[in-house]
Amino acid sequence: MAYHSGYGAHGSKHRARAAPDSPPLFDDTSGGYSSQPGGYPAPGAEVAFSVNHLLGDPMANVAMAYGSSIASHGKDIVHKELHRFVSVNKLKYFFAVDTAYVAKKLGLLIFPYTHQNWEVKYSRDVPLPPRQDLNAPDLYIPTMAFITYVLLAGMALGIQKRFSPEVLGLCASTALVWVVMEVLALLLGLYLATVRSELSTFHLLAYSGYKYVGMILSVLTGLLFGSDGYYVALAWTSSALMYFIVRSLRTAALGPDSVGGPAPRQRLQLYLTLGAAAFQPLIIYWLTFHLVR
Amino acid sequence: MKPADGSIMNETDLTGPILFCVALGATLLLAGKIQFGYVYGMSAIGCLGIHALLNLMSSAGVSYGCVASVLGYCLLPMVILSSCAIFFSLQGTFGTMSALVIVGWCSLSASKIFISALDMEGQQLLVAYPCALLYGLFALLTVF
Repeated sequence: MAYHSGYGAHGSKHRARAAPDSPPLFDDTSGGYSSQPGGYPAPGAEVAFSVNHLLGDPMANVAMAYGSSIASHGKDIVHKELHRFVSVNKLKYFFAVDTAYVAKKLGLLIFPYTHQNWEVKYSRDVPLPPRQDLNAPDLYIPTMAFITYVLLAGMALGIQKRFSPEVLGLCASTALVWVVMEVLALLLGLYLATVRSELSTFHLLAYSGYKYVGMILSVLTGLLFGSDGYYVALAWTSSALMYFIVRSLRTAALGPDSVGGPAPRQRLQLYLTLGAAAFQPLIIYWLTFHLVR
Repeated sequence: MKPADGSIMNETDLTGPILFCVALGATLLLAGKIQFGYVYGMSAIGCLGIHALLNLMSSAGVSYGCVASVLGYCLLPMVILSSCAIFFSLQGTFGTMSALVIVGWCSLSASKIFISALDMEGQQLLVAYPCALLYGLFALLTVF
């Protein structure tokens, strides 16, 4: 049964793509599978025919074919809408990472004080992907850190016997709302300061997501070493993160042609960067102190 | 670690994974936790998330059925863990250590299949980590 529906769906999907304005209402197995790759259309047609005879109910076949064509049509609609909002290629740039980059970037987030060169490397006006440039922001680390933070919150609450799956959802949505609000505030600040920089939304999302690494470390040390360990780790990761953000965004937010820009605008951008950096420890504290009692 | 054969995932089937999910729910039920809804919900959302991540991280795309199939088959050690939870409580050092070992086992095997089927190099640990998070969620459900 699954075998037949797989072939039937593939056939109708091929048909729906070829003639999008008239979805076929039945599986025409009389031929016309010539352009399909893989070489299985002929046995597929025979199998479809035999199972058709076995089923003996043309209405079921009609319903199955119609349902699968509706499903593939729906999938196409979802893809189209998604591509309208999110450019997948730009997003893929942020996920082109490998293990060495992630390890070095995590080390940089914890101890950024000895790193010398904070410039993002370009190759013919296109920024290099994170695989080849340590200073490029990525979205893999923030995403994983966010999910790890939610899981760690669940585990911390479980240790304190306060765990239930609803609380996990609450933690996840709270943290997500804070991220969205911070990115919106940064976007608003950049817009008001009329900064023409190369910082897209994804860059801001990446930089505001790096604080979750610090949060995870603080919560872990708080769980292992108690309240004192938590405050020590909080202080260390907050200062490291502030230094990291200020050094990274100072070269990025200034934009490519701001060397001769007016002084008050540069000062405004600097204040914006410093404000964003100073806001981080507050958020880290706010989102983690209730986990370490 | 020996690389797996990349042609394993040429045909995808969902029978085994669904069977393993039902087995997990059944063993949880035997341990006194009626959490079928959470198992199915988390596996669906986890499959969606890993599918999105693998599509973004690899140069070749991956279909949803392939992801669901691999993740479902690698769920088998978790069924072993939850059947242990029937006989003794896992909330202790031994329980935590065994949960960590099982989660590591599941995620390493899943990531090995993914990187050999999708031909991604230098990213095994990066793929293993989100799989470990997903299986960690199941372990949370089993232990607590």
